[in-house]
Parts: sequence; structure tokens; C-alpha cells
Amino acid sequence: MNPKEQHGNFSPEKDAPKYADLLQCMRCGFCLPTCPTFALTGRERSSPRGRVALARAVAEGTFEFTSAIREEAFFCLDCRACTSACPSGVRAGELMEICRTQAHQQQPQPKWQTACRDMILQKMLTDPKHLERAMLPARLYQKLGLQWLLRNSRILKLGPQWLDKATAMLPPLGQPLRQQLPELTPARGKKRGRVAFFLGCVMSLMYAEVSQQTVRILSHQGFDVLTPPAQKCCGAPHLSEGDRQTTRQLAIHNLELFLALDVDAIVTDCAGCGSALKDYEELLEDQQDTHKLQLFRNKIKDISEFLSETGLRTEELLPIEQAVTYHEPCHLCHAQGISRQPRELIRAIPGIELREMKEASWCCGSAATWGLKFDAASQQVLDRKLANIAATDADLLVTANPGCQLQLDWGIREAGMAQKVIHLTELLGRATP
Amino acid sequence: MITKTAIDQLTAKLGSQNVFHQPEDLLTLGYDATPQLAGSPDVVVYPTCSDEVQYALQLARDNDLPVTPRGSGTGLSGGSIPAEGGMVICLNRMKRILEIDEENLTASVEAGVVTLDLFNTVAAKGLFYPPDPGSQKISTLGGNVMEDAGGLRGLKYGVTRDYVMALRCILADGSELATGGKSVKDVAGYAFKDLLVGSEGTLGIITEITLKLIPPPQAKRTLLAYFADIRNAGDAVSQIIAAKIIPSTMEIMDRATINCVEDYSKIGLPRQIAALLLIEVDGHPALVAEEAAAIEQILARARATEVQVAKDEIAAAKLAEARRTALSALARVSPTTLLEDATVPRSMLAETFTLIDQLTQKYQLQVGTFGHAGDGNLHPTVLCDERNTDEMHRAHAFYDQLYEQVLAWGGTVSGEHGIGLAKKDYLARQIGSGGIAVMKRIKSAFDPTGMLNPGKILSTNKNRT
Ligand SMILES: Cc1cc2nc3c(=O)[nH]c(=O)nc-3n(C[C@H](O)[C@H](O)[C@H](O)COP(=O)(O)OP(=O)(O)OC[C@H]3O[C@@H](n4cnc5c(N)ncnc54)[C@H](O)[C@@H]3O)c2cc1C
Ligand code: SF4
Ligand code: SF4
Repeated sequence: MNPKEQHGNFSPEKDAPKYADLLQCMRCGFCLPTCPTFALTGRERSSPRGRVALARAVAEGTFEFTSAIREEAFFCLDCRACTSACPSGVRAGELMEICRTQAHQQQPQPKWQTACRDMILQKMLTDPKHLERAMLPARLYQKLGLQWLLRNSRILKLGPQWLDKATAMLPPLGQPLRQQLPELTPARGKKRGRVAFFLGCVMSLMYAEVSQQTVRILSHQGFDVLTPPAQKCCGAPHLSEGDRQTTRQLAIHNLELFLALDVDAIVTDCAGCGSALKDYEELLEDQQDTHKLQLFRNKIKDISEFLSETGLRTEELLPIEQAVTYHEPCHLCHAQGISRQPRELIRAIPGIELREMKEASWCCGSAATWGLKFDAASQQVLDRKLANIAATDADLLVTANPGCQLQLDWGIREAGMAQKVIHLTELLGRATP
Repeated sequence: MITKTAIDQLTAKLGSQNVFHQPEDLLTLGYDATPQLAGSPDVVVYPTCSDEVQYALQLARDNDLPVTPRGSGTGLSGGSIPAEGGMVICLNRMKRILEIDEENLTASVEAGVVTLDLFNTVAAKGLFYPPDPGSQKISTLGGNVMEDAGGLRGLKYGVTRDYVMALRCILADGSELATGGKSVKDVAGYAFKDLLVGSEGTLGIITEITLKLIPPPQAKRTLLAYFADIRNAGDAVSQIIAAKIIPSTMEIMDRATINCVEDYSKIGLPRQIAALLLIEVDGHPALVAEEAAAIEQILARARATEVQVAKDEIAAAKLAEARRTALSALARVSPTTLLEDATVPRSMLAETFTLIDQLTQKYQLQVGTFGHAGDGNLHPTVLCDERNTDEMHRAHAFYDQLYEQVLAWGGTVSGEHGIGLAKKDYLARQIGSGGIAVMKRIKSAFDPTGMLNPGKILSTNKNRT
């Protein structure tokens, strides 16, 4: 950390929020109505404005980094709805993510937590020979929100039985896609360019068929698709865990690997990965050449962003006669500002009817949900979403992030609703000959 | 300090989810949107009904705790800051819309209802609640009444006061006062209601409000006029009004504001121009067309460089929405945003802009100005850094001199943000010691011990033991 930086009671050895970023909040409260945790508790300290004020007090040395402040840092969903809502450019979610670094203390874990880790390890790791095998369990475990729940299990008063629910949520796991995708998938039709595909860990393991469609669409749209097998986890789970150092290591690896490729863009179909990859610029600002970081940043594209920029070739698309509604993943709309593009793609499919749901960009509660089952108030996050989905009476629920997909798929099943949940590229894949 | 017994009693009555006293809660309920001011209460309560307000007040009185009412804490003069500690009573969980009376065109609400929620609810029934402060998506109606909030539609439709028909409040002695009613005329005795509006929580705690609703205008048209010199924009405003046209909205933003707003909302505002006016006319379609045409002519004469008409309601709403973010968006430029609320007779607008410009040069500051131009209500905002003491001194000198002239022109030190903690000195300058003395007498008639929101509007008159 910069020694000139005012860090007050933040530990100077670890990442800490920049004081200037904290001062940026003018306490107008515009973010309050968009914050899911504030909606749950109605407590100012669980709001973006409150959280920034707490962090500011720590930076000014008037408050210790208390356990309640740590709790708020982890209770924050990092959904970044507050970032979208804030006219002053304050990013309370990210500030909380950084605060988690401060909170990162290795505490001994209860037995059942280790058991959970093991379950994921054994169930998911089908090929131990793989380079990223050390990454996969950790990433999955965190990406799926287990980490969040584990940390908050006491706040949320969870018993160990939530684990059964978590297991029920997981889709059947096939062979990881990473092992099946060729390094080069050639363009079909008139060639328009060459892209690299960033394959997310969860996508690879749990939604292999979705990412397969993503690659097929890109190729059908006229792009050579390179999938470098040496790519590693984007580091998002570590970020949200408060382990920014590991993310930096992963970031440098991916940065070097992808910049060495001669491609127009680096495309991903995981909103969480896209958002983390775009954050490398800031994360590595003290360690890497600015120009290089910008180059990388400008190449990162969510699949919908990419297809919308390059223009979707629609001539051959097959009609789909169904009504769909779209749930915006937080890490797509709030973290990356991508809202219009997915809708454009959906509407480009002949025959489809897009029915907007209310509050499409309100968090689905992803990470939190399993815990929510045990807490009447918290269940509201998911219920609120499900009610808005149900009101559209659509046939399909489209989204664009594996975390949301898992959550909503489970929620819809539990609620006995009719909608099928599918990823945007699965939908486009169906329309692609 | 509050005793543990008192906290236990509050918790027993209101429930633990409605009473907080952890340091983290106290810190986050000690501020509002006023820069550089904060306090720390001893306890925070969230009553969910009028009985609980009464109970909390009673307990505060028994324990000699000052009480600060709070809505959403978006106030800009420090009104909901617990300057002397004690108890903060947050009304934002009393948020039921109790009744929409379509025969009498009124809405009765609890004090914690969010302004925009009421607007949307009555709009769904084909009715209209006009006052729309920039903070409408989070401010409470209780807070609006207590600050007599204005908004973008103030020019034609007036301010919150013009819509308050009845109030129910709890006074410092714990008694309930109901004043006003649904009848459109009422001259029975002193007008308590009018005294309470704008009293900033110093006379009583509002629990229930009955508001007047009106039918919405049939048609609207939104214009955007660009200027190369902000004084021309000021002249245009005066000329439009002199032409006997009262638009519903006439908002101004200067270049600094335009750029910040564009940074956030990305709706394509031109970054080079010196100022823009956002004008909306509404009413009968024929009249709207006629007035819009007349305004376009006046704008051309007043040397607007370009006039655009919003193509549809969505585009118009986006413009208004963008304007509402002006203050917060300006905050992205610098760590501290000091804003004032100077209001002048409309005919003095152009002179006011000249003055702001001169003072900005003189004190070497960065200033962004926006505001409700049609009301003569400007928000010159100094973009500064509270860590820079010299700059802060210059900023205060800037406002001192500005207000001196504003008062000389017959203006006011606060058009809509209230006095609170932040502007007590300016108030004395405006109304003089005689005025302050009368206000103090009124205050003690309502609140003899001075327990309600002490230190606001008037310096504390501590009769408490
Ligand atoms: C970005 C921004 C834009 C704004 N734009 C405008 C604008 O266009 N026009 C305008 O007029 N104001 C504006 N404001 C100021 C502010 O939003 C208004 O003053 C608003 O009315 C405050 O409402 P609140 O619920 O936040 O009240 P608070 O700030 O919580 O309280 C305001 C005052 O009312 C008292 N109070 C609150 N509720 C009660 C109650 N139930 N009983 C008794 N006393 C009570 C408090 O003690 C305090 O003195 C703006 C503020 C911001 C941050
Ligand atoms: S985070 Fe932004 S929106 Fe929220 S209170 Fe602060 S400045 Fe306002
Ligand atoms: S990131 Fe989401 S949960 Fe966290 S403070 Fe912002 S809106 Fe609230």
C-alpha cells in the first residue's frame, strides 16, 4: 500500500480502500433503494452509504475494524447495484471486497465445513491430472457461494443441514469442457476475425454444453476461436474471498498468456469472469505497464457485448416460438454496464417474444440463497425475484451467468414454477443451425 | 448517556429489530447528506406506529434525552443529525400508504413513505402528486414536509407546503396533535399546519400526512436549450415568465454540472456549452403546443445556440432523471461538495450568475451551479477538499459574500434545504434578532424543555435539566 495513503486503523500490510475513494461518497442516499441487503434489514449499516461510512471511520482512525464491520463487508452481496445507482462514482461493493482482505484471517474451520470441501473435491474433480486441479475445488466452492455461507453461517444462524440443499442444487457433472474443446475451432462461413475464448471454471464443469454453444456460435458467426488450455481461473472467487494476492498471481498468468495470442478479442460467457478480467487493470496498476493493462482490458468482452459490437449475422437464424424473460446478472449489468446487448441478441432471434420482468437487474441472491432457506427474511431476496419472473408468465428464463443459473434453476424447481432456465448462448445456440 | 434499563424498555416495547445501540449503527445514523457534519446518538429507534413514537418520546423525556427525528437522512442542512446525542427516531419504517381518496383527491400516508412511491401509487390511479425533489426516490414525505421540499415542478405546481392538507404529530409532551383535514378550506384558529411545515423536526414528530392530489396534465413537452453564456440562460428564464408563460419545469445546469451529469448518465448532453435549460410545459395539448412554440421563439431571441425537443416521454423522463443526479454527480469531481441554496427574485437571475462568476474568480474556486432556475433557486456548489483548510476558508468567504448580495436583492438564504445546523448564522442575518426571538418563543410554546431536535434552526435554548 502507498505509504502516503491514509489508512488509519486498516492494516497497512494488506490491501485497504483508498481514502479518496471513501471521501467520494456525499451520502445522498441514491444507492439505498437498490441495495438488497438494506432491503432485507432496513439497517443503515447494511446499506452502501452505511458501509462506506464505516470504512471511512476506520480509515480516519475513529473506529477499529470491528467484527461488525467485517460482518457488513461479508454480508454485502457484492452485487454492485449501488455502483450503477451512484452518481458520484462510489463503488461500495468493491470497497467492501477490498475490506474483506483486511478481514482475511485464517480461522480453524469446523469439521462439517471441511466435509463440504471434500464433497466438492470428490464430486467435481474428475481428472486430477489437470493443471488447474488445485484451483477447481476452491473456485467452485467459492463461486457457488459456499464460502460466503460458511463465513456467514453464524450470522444467518444456519445449521449444517443447508449442505443437503447445496448438494441438491448442483446439476449432474459431466466431463469438464476444458478437456474436450479443441485449441482451435475454425470460423464457419465468411471469416470475420479471430478471438480467444476464456472458459470459466464453473462453465467448464457444470455448464459444459452452454460454453460449447458459445464456441459454436462464435464459429458460426465467422470467428476462429482459440481456447488456450493453459488458462487459469480468473481469480474472482479469491477476490470475493478477500485474497487479492492470489488473484494478482492468476491475473498475471492470464494476462501474459492471452496477450501473447494474436486475437481481436477475448470472449467469455461467464459474467463473473468477465467482470474479474476487466478488473485486472485496477488490480495490477502498481505492478504492470499501463498500456499493456489497457490493451488487455479493451479486449475482454462478454459474449453479448462482443456479438452486439460486431453485429450478429441473423440471416440463417432459426425461429424459436417462445416467450422469454431476462434476468440480468449483477456482474454483467452492474459490474460491466451491459444491459442492452443481451436483450438485443434475444430480440434478434426470429419468433421470440421478450417479456420484461420487473426489477430485472435486482440480485437473485445467488451466493446467499442456500442460507436464505433457513431465514424467513432472507428468503425474500429469492422470492422477490421469483415473483417477478412468475408475473411474466414466460416459457423461458434467460440469464448469462452460471451463479444466477444455479440459483434460479433451484429456486424455480423448489417453487414448482414452469419456467426453464437457460443461458443466453444456449438460446442463441438453439437458433443457430 | 442512555441507561441500560432505558434500552431494555425500548427493546421490550418496540422489539429488538427496531432498537439499535451498537457503535456501528450509531455511526451510520449520525449523518445526513450535509458535508462535514455528523453527530452520534446514544440510541436509535424505528417506530412502526404512532403509539411507539409516543412511547419513545415519553421515555426520552423521562431520561432527559434529546430527540432527533429522521426520515432518510438526505437533508442538506444537517436537520437529522443528532447534534447533542440522545435518541434518533427514524420514521422510515412507518411507510404505509393509508388511503387514496379519489372523491376528495387526497392521499393519507405515514410519515416514512418515500416520495416517489407515493407518486407512482397515485399515478397508477390516474392522479398526480407534483412535488418532486431531486432526492425523491429515497426522501420521505415526512422529511419533505419538515423541509418544505421543492422540486423540479415547483415553478408551476408549488412546493410541498402547497399539498399538505392535514398533519398528525406527536408533541414533546407526548400528546398528539391533529391539524387540518380533507376540506379544502379551513380557518379554524391558528394555522398549526402551516407552522409545522418546514419546522425541521423542532416542533413535533410527524406521524401521518394527508396530501392533496391533482389530476395529471393531459400533455407535456420537454425542451432543452443550450447557451454559450450562462447569463443568457438567466435572461431567457425572466423573459419566458415575463411573457406570462409558466412552464412546469425550468431547470438550469452550468458546464461543470453538465459534464458531471453526462459522465454518469451518458445521455449525450453537449459538453462544450456554457449552460443548458431544461424546460417542460404541460397542460391541455393545444396550450402545450402554443406555449412550446412561444418559448422556442423567446429562446432564440435570448440567444440560445440550439433548442431540442425531447422526442418522447421516455427521452423526457431521462432528462429529468439526469438533472436529479446533478448534485451527487458533481460530487465525483472532488472529495467535498459544499452546496448552497440561494434564492433570488427571478428577475435577478442573470446578475446572480455574474456574481457567482466573479466570486469564483476572486476566491480561486471550482464551482458548479445548477438549480431550479424558474424559482430563482440556485445551488452554487463548491467542489473542494475538506483536507485543504485554506480552500475551505475561501469557500466560506465565497458563500458569505454571495449571501450578502442575495439578501440585499431581497432573496433568501434557503429556498428549500432548510436551516438545520448549517445555516443558523445566515438565518439571523436574514430575519434579524427580532425574528429569532419570535421563533424562539414559538419553539418554547411547543417544546418548553427544548428536547426536540435541539440546535436546529435556532441555537439551543436548553431548559432541560
Ligand atoms: C441529491 C439530493 C437532491 C436533493 N434535491 C432536493 C430538491 O430538489 N428539493 C429539495 O427541497 N430538497 C432536495 N434535497 C434535500 C432533501 O432531500 C430534502 O430536504 C428531503 O425533504 C429530506 O427528506 P428525508 O426523508 O431525507 O429527511 P431527513 O434528511 O431525514 O430529515 C430532514 C428534516 O426533517 C426532520 N424530519 C424528518 N422526518 C420527520 C418526521 N416524520 N417528523 C418530524 N421531523 C422529521 C429531520 O429532523 C430533519 O430536520 C436533495 C438532497 C439530495 C441529497
Ligand atoms: S455511495 Fe453514492 S449513491 Fe450512495 S450515498 Fe454515497 S454518493 Fe450517494
Ligand atoms: S454491492 Fe450490493 S449488497 Fe453490497 S452494498 Fe452494494 S448494493 Fe448493497
